[in-house]
Amino acid sequence: MYNLVRFLLRFWLLILFLSLEGFCFYLIYQNSKFHQVFLYNKANEISGNVYLQYAASKGYLSLGRVNDSLARENAFLREKAMESFIYLKNEEHTITDSTATKLQLFTYKDAKVIRNSVNQSANYIYIDKGASMGIKEQMGVISAKGIVGQVVKVTEHYSAVMSILNRNFRVSAKLKKSNFFGQLFWSGKRIDEVRLEEIPKHVNVHVGDTIVTSGYSVLFPENIMIGRVRKVYAQPEKNFLEIDVQLSADMNSLSHVYVVNHLQKQELEILDSAVINQAKK
Amino acid sequence: MSGVFPINIIRFFLLLLAQVLFFSNIHAHPLLDVYIYPIFILSLPFNTPRWLLMVLSLMMGLSVDFFLGSLGMHGAAALLLGFLRPNLVSIITPKGADFEINPNIYVQGIMWFAIYYSVAYLILLGSYFSIESWGFYNLFWLVIKILLSTTTSILISIFLLYLFTTDKRRRHT
Repeated sequence: MYNLVRFLLRFWLLILFLSLEGFCFYLIYQNSKFHQVFLYNKANEISGNVYLQYAASKGYLSLGRVNDSLARENAFLREKAMESFIYLKNEEHTITDSTATKLQLFTYKDAKVIRNSVNQSANYIYIDKGASMGIKEQMGVISAKGIVGQVVKVTEHYSAVMSILNRNFRVSAKLKKSNFFGQLFWSGKRIDEVRLEEIPKHVNVHVGDTIVTSGYSVLFPENIMIGRVRKVYAQPEKNFLEIDVQLSADMNSLSHVYVVNHLQKQELEILDSAVINQAKK
Repeated sequence: MSGVFPINIIRFFLLLLAQVLFFSNIHAHPLLDVYIYPIFILSLPFNTPRWLLMVLSLMMGLSVDFFLGSLGMHGAAALLLGFLRPNLVSIITPKGADFEINPNIYVQGIMWFAIYYSVAYLILLGSYFSIESWGFYNLFWLVIKILLSTTTSILISIFLLYLFTTDKRRRHT
C-alpha cells in the first residue's frame, strides 16, 4: 500500500511537470508570431516603463557618442532631404512656384530605442513612440547609418520593431553600382552580417560594393544605405550569387532611430489591388 | 531555517533585475549569451519539495521571459531544470555526505559546485537554445552557441557565488 502511494506520488509529480511544460509550449506557440504577445498590452506597458527608466539612466553614460552621431545624422538628413521628394513635371504648364512642383513622399519621425536584442534568432527592438505619435504597423525604421527594421506592433506609447537581425525579416535590396536587386535577410551567424541572394551570376560584384535599399517597397525610400559586400559565393549548382553583406548600422548600439512614413502608401495600395483584380479577370 | 524565505525572495528579485537589465544587455556576440538567473533555482535549499522547485523555477523562467519578450521559452527550460534538480543532486553527491540545508560553495567545495553548475546549465541552456532557434541555426552553430554560452555563464555564476556567499565555517572558528 505504501509503495502504491509512493508510486502515485511520483506519478503525480510527473503529471504536474508535463502539464506545466505543456503550458509553457502553449505560450511559446501562442507567442511564435510575436504579435500575440502584445495581447498582454498592459503587461508590456509595465515592462516598457522599466526599460524606459533604464534607457534614460543609461543614456547619460553615452552622451558624448550620441552627440557625435547626431551631428553626423544632421548632415545625413540634409543630404537625404532632396530624395524625399519626387518632381511632378507637367508639360502643358510652366510652373514657376517651386513648392508646387514637388510632392512629399516620405516623412520621418525620430524615436529612441528603449530595448534592443541581438542574441536571439528573432530579435526585436522597442521604441518609445507609439500609436499616439502616429506610428503604424508596417512602417520602415532606419538609423543614421542604415536600415534597422520594420514596425510590427504598436501600442499606445511604444512600438515593437522587427530588427533586420530577425529570421523573418526580408527586404528588397540592390547593388548601388549596377542596380541589380535581390532579397536580403539575416543568416544568423554574426550581428553585423546579412545575406543578399537572387543576384544573377553574370553580374560583377566586388568586395566593398555598396548595397542600398531598392525603393520597390513602401517600407524604405530608395538608396538608403544597408552595407558593403564582404564576401561573394558563386556555387556552381546555383544560378544566383550568394553575397555576405557587412551591415553599416551597428545594431548593437542603437539609440536614436527614424520611423519612415510613406505618404502615398494608400494610393499605391489602391493601384496594387486594382492590378491584382485586373489579373484575376 | 527562519531566514530561508526572505533570502530567497530577495535573491529572486536581485537575480531577475541583474539578468534582464545587465547580463541580457551585454550583447557581446550572437553566439554568446550570459544567463545567471539559474543561480536562484540551484541555490534553493536541498529539502525543497520537488513540486515547489518546479513552481519556483517556472516563476523565475517566466519572469525572465516577461522582460526578454520570449514568453514561455525560459519557463520551459527552467522548469526542466527544476524537475531534474533533485536527481542531479543525488547523483553527484557522495553517499553519506553530510550537507547543510542550503547549497554553499564553501561547504560543498568548488569541485562539487563546478559539476553541479555544469550539468545544470547544460540542461537549461541546451533546452533553451534548442527551443529558441526552432531549427534556424544548423546543428553545428547550435552546439557552438550552447557550449560558448554555458561556459561563460558558469564562470560568471561561480564568480558571483564567491562574491556574495559568506563562508560559514570561518564564523565558527
